[in-house]
Amino acid sequence: MRDCDLTSREVASLSSATDLMEREWAPCRNGCPVHADVRTYIELAAQGRWQESIDVIRGRLPFAAVCGRICHHPCEANCRRNDVDDPIAIREVKRFVAEFCRSKGATVNKAALQDKARVAVIGAGPAGMSAALELAKLGYRPKVFEKFPVAGGISATAIPKYRLPRDVVQIDVDWILAHGVEMQTNIEVGKDKTIDDLLAEGFEAALIATGLAKSNVLPIPGSDHKRVLAVMEFLTKVAFDEKVHIGNDVLVIGGGNVACDAARVSVRLGAERVRMMCLENKEEMPAWEWEAREAREEGIDIIHRRGPVEIVVEDEQIKKITARKVTRVFDENERFNPQYDDTDVTSVGCDTVIFAIGQMADYGFIANSNVKLDNRGRLEFNPATHQTNEPKVFACGEIVTPPGSVVEACANGQRGAKAIDMYLSGRKIDIDDSLPPVIDKIAPGTAEKVIKTKRVSVPTEQPEKRKKNFDVFEHTLEADVAACEARRCMNCGAGAEVLVDKCAACLTCLRVCPFDIPKVTDVARIDSTLCQACGICIAECPANAIIPRGWDKDRLKSATTEALYAADGELKIVAYICGHRAPTVAWRGEDHRIAGVKQFYLPSMARLKVSDLLGAFEAGADDVVVVACAEDAERYPQTAARIRKRVNQACDLLSEIGIDGQRLKMFEVAGDADSIRTALDQALKEVEKTVS
Amino acid sequence: MIITERKPFDEILETLKPYTKVLVLGCGGCATVCLTGGEKQAEELASQLRLVSGPKKLDLQVEFDSITRQCDREFAENLKQSPDNYDCVLSMACGVGVQFMSQLYPDVPFLPAMNTTFYGAGVALGVWEEYCHGCGDCVLALTDGICPVARCSKSLVNGPCGGTNDGKCEVSSDMDCGWYLIYKRLAEKGKLDQFRKIQPPKDWRKDRGAGVRRMILKEMVEEEECQA
Repeated sequence: MRDCDLTSREVASLSSATDLMEREWAPCRNGCPVHADVRTYIELAAQGRWQESIDVIRGRLPFAAVCGRICHHPCEANCRRNDVDDPIAIREVKRFVAEFCRSKGATVNKAALQDKARVAVIGAGPAGMSAALELAKLGYRPKVFEKFPVAGGISATAIPKYRLPRDVVQIDVDWILAHGVEMQTNIEVGKDKTIDDLLAEGFEAALIATGLAKSNVLPIPGSDHKRVLAVMEFLTKVAFDEKVHIGNDVLVIGGGNVACDAARVSVRLGAERVRMMCLENKEEMPAWEWEAREAREEGIDIIHRRGPVEIVVEDEQIKKITARKVTRVFDENERFNPQYDDTDVTSVGCDTVIFAIGQMADYGFIANSNVKLDNRGRLEFNPATHQTNEPKVFACGEIVTPPGSVVEACANGQRGAKAIDMYLSGRKIDIDDSLPPVIDKIAPGTAEKVIKTKRVSVPTEQPEKRKKNFDVFEHTLEADVAACEARRCMNCGAGAEVLVDKCAACLTCLRVCPFDIPKVTDVARIDSTLCQACGICIAECPANAIIPRGWDKDRLKSATTEALYAADGELKIVAYICGHRAPTVAWRGEDHRIAGVKQFYLPSMARLKVSDLLGAFEAGADDVVVVACAEDAERYPQTAARIRKRVNQACDLLSEIGIDGQRLKMFEVAGDADSIRTALDQALKEVEKTVS
Repeated sequence: MIITERKPFDEILETLKPYTKVLVLGCGGCATVCLTGGEKQAEELASQLRLVSGPKKLDLQVEFDSITRQCDREFAENLKQSPDNYDCVLSMACGVGVQFMSQLYPDVPFLPAMNTTFYGAGVALGVWEEYCHGCGDCVLALTDGICPVARCSKSLVNGPCGGTNDGKCEVSSDMDCGWYLIYKRLAEKGKLDQFRKIQPPKDWRKDRGAGVRRMILKEMVEEEECQA
């Protein structure tokens, strides 16, 4: 909980109500390396507002479509729903949104004037492209130089297509280029052109973002055999559809994600037997749990705790690898420091070996330039400023960071762009990496009261089928399935905020909260880390002293007024509908089967206030229909009973002033498309009967 | 707290007849706590008035606001607009608030939207009961915490009367006999002797008997108030 109180005066001075959301971040956002505003884009997706959702995603994450497919999703690992049931399938929702909108469906916010310095970016991977985008948005003129014929880096040149098809990468690339990022492919800096050439051509800064392009190969006897493949070269050939001869008995050395990729690609290329061998045991191996599991499902055996000694070649053919037992991988300080038992050596038969034991940088780009390597053979680099020994030459991404995922490279690229902007605008390079405080884990007592829901299961092809080809085997969610999954989001931190100057400590919030969150000391205190954002207390507070952080509580009233103003002449029927189970076409106003009813879908009916109902009549509604979900279909507990009371109270207030309470109708339905339509149909019939 | 109940709508409307521009003013004190006269209720009443304005050809222009308390002058500074900008203010405070604000803004009529009913406590969500009468001479020590003035229909200090009936008051069968409650409480605590002590007649001058009451706290009061 924040320790500073909020007053109505302070709220009035905010530029937007959502500023409050910036005060504390949900753990999903904090855990995301680029700090994408997960909570907001998930909420927008929950309402079928796809374009707004993708704009929020792309506001921080340029490789939205790529990450929708292959992100290691730390957002999900940090999701507070982990302590309730299962995390939201954030990546799958993002995948649907990004691929539904494609590149043209996302807003391009080009700099008004792009007339600042030219910056050369070397490497069109996630880091380089993210940096170029940031620079373009700031008004610089970035140009990206890429040695491959396509942009996207590893995403396009190495990740197998069954995980990430090339057209998906292109969505992100196209959207980035639309911001005024120039691109030249098929040009290798260090070979076709030097860094010094670029600086001489008028680029005022250069950014090295070449990643880790080369594979490590163990220099053991036999490793120079032509059937010993380096993983990156192997995967790149496959990515570019080059003919690759795979053997019948493949052994992939390595236990990471790239090793899994290589093994699974080998299976798809037709190898009869594919095995992996790694130093680590099942728990230690660096591949994501699901990568290793899917590999096993595809028939790949993983040999653990073995380190290769020799590739045994007979008659110019690889026959086997001898491998010794690994007694430990990490030392007491958890550093990689394997030890072996040389007395325990076995041999593993194979005819092809693929080394997937890590990548390394290709420093070819420094040729004929002043950029230097340090005494350990690595790029001289200052992580605080992103500068190399040459002040105009910067670096970002995996060439200077530990290996990571696409989203981490994006984050580092964005940081590099900040450094370049500071440098080129003559400021000291001083990057503020501080973040707002994070909302803590959900308390067990609160988690217990949250309605449990099942995480979506992604439609996936069976291993027997998927291992035969390079087709994508995990399918994109359908629109409504993605929205339903998004509606599982608990809106962490979007809930109630007490205006201490207005609170009368009346205890109403404490008494109506279904989650027992409010405490009343001097005034009401609502712990934002616990609040579930249902909105019940906001609508009940007699002092109007509780405001939501995550939505504008007056928006419904103004939207109703606007809609009815436009409906001049017709019979004006307004429906406030629980949208928790409603289809996205309805949310988007694209379900035209109920004509003549102005429909407003709410994330939860708990947020509908008595004054909203009166306000609809003030705006000219002839009839108001409330279509609430029955208790078991609502997003939050106790909502149906509460909304019933509010409708009754509004009926009384209307009757008191001579408006027939029958003009306000309430239906409690299952909440799906059919039940909503039936309720609206019935309401419409009743209205027509009264009118005639 | 002081319990207030909203007046019937027609009565409110009647009092507004001469006026066009109306401010409905909630009170953030007791009226908010008893859920009848806070900003929320002011917003709802303002909405009702606007709704009725058209059909009744009243041409009302109604806004709402609320302040922390209508019985202290400093909070009036927090009004979004001066009451002088309105034809009248419909106050949702208790009678104290209405009068106090009238004094502060003598040029603007302050009209009551509420009936001030009693000093009470919330006994359950949405239920308030009378506990005190404000008699100015508390006898709760003698009756073990149950007030005969507020809770006996006749405010007897030596009760019960002959109208007690199986624990209920003759005034209404729904109403507990206050003196029966006192008897039970004293009996439970073994203090029935207290019942034997006849109390002298109550000094009603401390109630309303001697006119308008005024309290002066010497250590806080400023000179001129003291002399007045």
